[in-house]
Amino acid sequence: MATVIPTELKDRLRDIQSITNAALSRLDDDELLAELLERTRTVLQADTAAALLLDYSSGQLLAIAAAGLEEEVSQGVRIPVGRGFAGRIAAEHRPVILDHVDHSTVLNPILLAKGIHALMGVPLITGGKVIGVLHVGSLTDRVFTSEDVELLELAADRVAAVITSLMAKENRVAAESLQRSLLPAGLPPAGEAEMAVRYVPGHGRVGGDWYDVFTLPSGQLGMVIGDVTGSGLPAAVIMGRIRSALRAYALETTDPAEVLARLDAKMQHFEPGALATVAYAVFDQDLDRVRICSAGHWPPVIATLGQPAELAGIPSGLLIGAVPGAQRRVTTIGISPGTVLCFFTDGLIERRGELIDDALTRLCQAVTAEPPESVCATVMGAMVDRGPAADDIALLVFRRQPSAGQQP
Amino acid sequence: MTAEGVQFRWMGQQAVVTLPAEIDAVNASTVRQALLAGARHDAAVLIIDMSRTTFCDSAGVQVIIDTYNQAAAARTRLRLVATAVVRILTLVGVDQLMPIYPTLEAALADGPG
Repeated sequence: MATVIPTELKDRLRDIQSITNAALSRLDDDELLAELLERTRTVLQADTAAALLLDYSSGQLLAIAAAGLEEEVSQGVRIPVGRGFAGRIAAEHRPVILDHVDHSTVLNPILLAKGIHALMGVPLITGGKVIGVLHVGSLTDRVFTSEDVELLELAADRVAAVITSLMAKENRVAAESLQRSLLPAGLPPAGEAEMAVRYVPGHGRVGGDWYDVFTLPSGQLGMVIGDVTGSGLPAAVIMGRIRSALRAYALETTDPAEVLARLDAKMQHFEPGALATVAYAVFDQDLDRVRICSAGHWPPVIATLGQPAELAGIPSGLLIGAVPGAQRRVTTIGISPGTVLCFFTDGLIERRGELIDDALTRLCQAVTAEPPESVCATVMGAMVDRGPAADDIALLVFRRQPSAGQQP
Repeated sequence: MTAEGVQFRWMGQQAVVTLPAEIDAVNASTVRQALLAGARHDAAVLIIDMSRTTFCDSAGVQVIIDTYNQAAAARTRLRLVATAVVRILTLVGVDQLMPIYPTLEAALADGPG
């Protein structure tokens, strides 16, 4: 391969290859891509260079960086896969050279308006998958050669690696900040209700677990725990939508089954394919009782003073998003002063090599009718003893204050 | 055919897809392909055999729900065999979508529907 590249070009090629992963930390994200395109343009002695990213959901290529063709990015150019010059490269997974640029060969009016005479483009490939297109253009007549294609492919390898790494970083940061913005910063003051929470992302990567606590206009207390299937940014986005939809339906009706039924219908229609388990509990204002509906979610562990804790006997319905019109049932549970309810997500109890029933037994042994903060600490200590969790863990512990005579 | 512990076979007129010991995000797409392929055989009954399965997280649950929706469209009736993971499957309501049997023999004994 190297034999076909003249020495002078090899020197320039070094410029591209010199942008290593170590440089990722030095340059800011946009600067890095811009620098790469600038070097690509120089190496190929071209007038323009542009990188387009494939958006799988829309089937369009989006201009994300350019040199000498900045208007592609600033005007938000979108090219459908399969159409035009860049669209053809993405669809056919191979380089395309245009010796004559005109209306019949390109779709993007910017390329014509710019006065580009010749174009050469290659697919950006990561892990065998096309993630976008890199192209360079000449403002004068030019015949791009097979050596030029080879050079551009080398540049494309580098650009693809940078884009992949930037996207992974961006997704992680976005998912984390989204997740953080959606978990309540503080728990609402709610009379005799005491609460404490824990949230731990799995493998350092956030997923779709969430909890929510709010007071309703009626004075009742709403409590939610749930888990969206999947992980990373897509799960965090779905989680955000479920969370706001549930809050909206909670204002319309205080029947937990009706809230989950409406949520299910909404998800089936607007987020087909997404699945989530959710438990929604509505506490009476005086905390004497709680009404709970579960859509495929683990019921809370309940501990009363002087009694061993147990998993609440709540029939669970189908998880949200599975099939239309699933039955939803409400279970009412009386709450005496001092009672603890411990809501959790499956990350707390699912371990390879341990039966769920054994993990549930350990959990029940760890839950006592103590103040919520100390219950959280004891439960996390008992269930998450070593190493990072494989899956997210969310834990929400509620206690109805003990009456004066019960205080230790 | 076997791929990562996934196996498809005919037992008379009933199709059986045997699933691996652990199902999670890592092998969910393999399991999905096997189940959806199984559901395309136009069998009257497709048995999802999870008798060897000891771990099934939400990725596995999603595959089973997707198979249910595909099979419902193809009018294929599903049965499921599970022991270790029956609790998690019942929790998320899979038992409301298809009968769950303790052994493959019991699932087969119910006949071709």
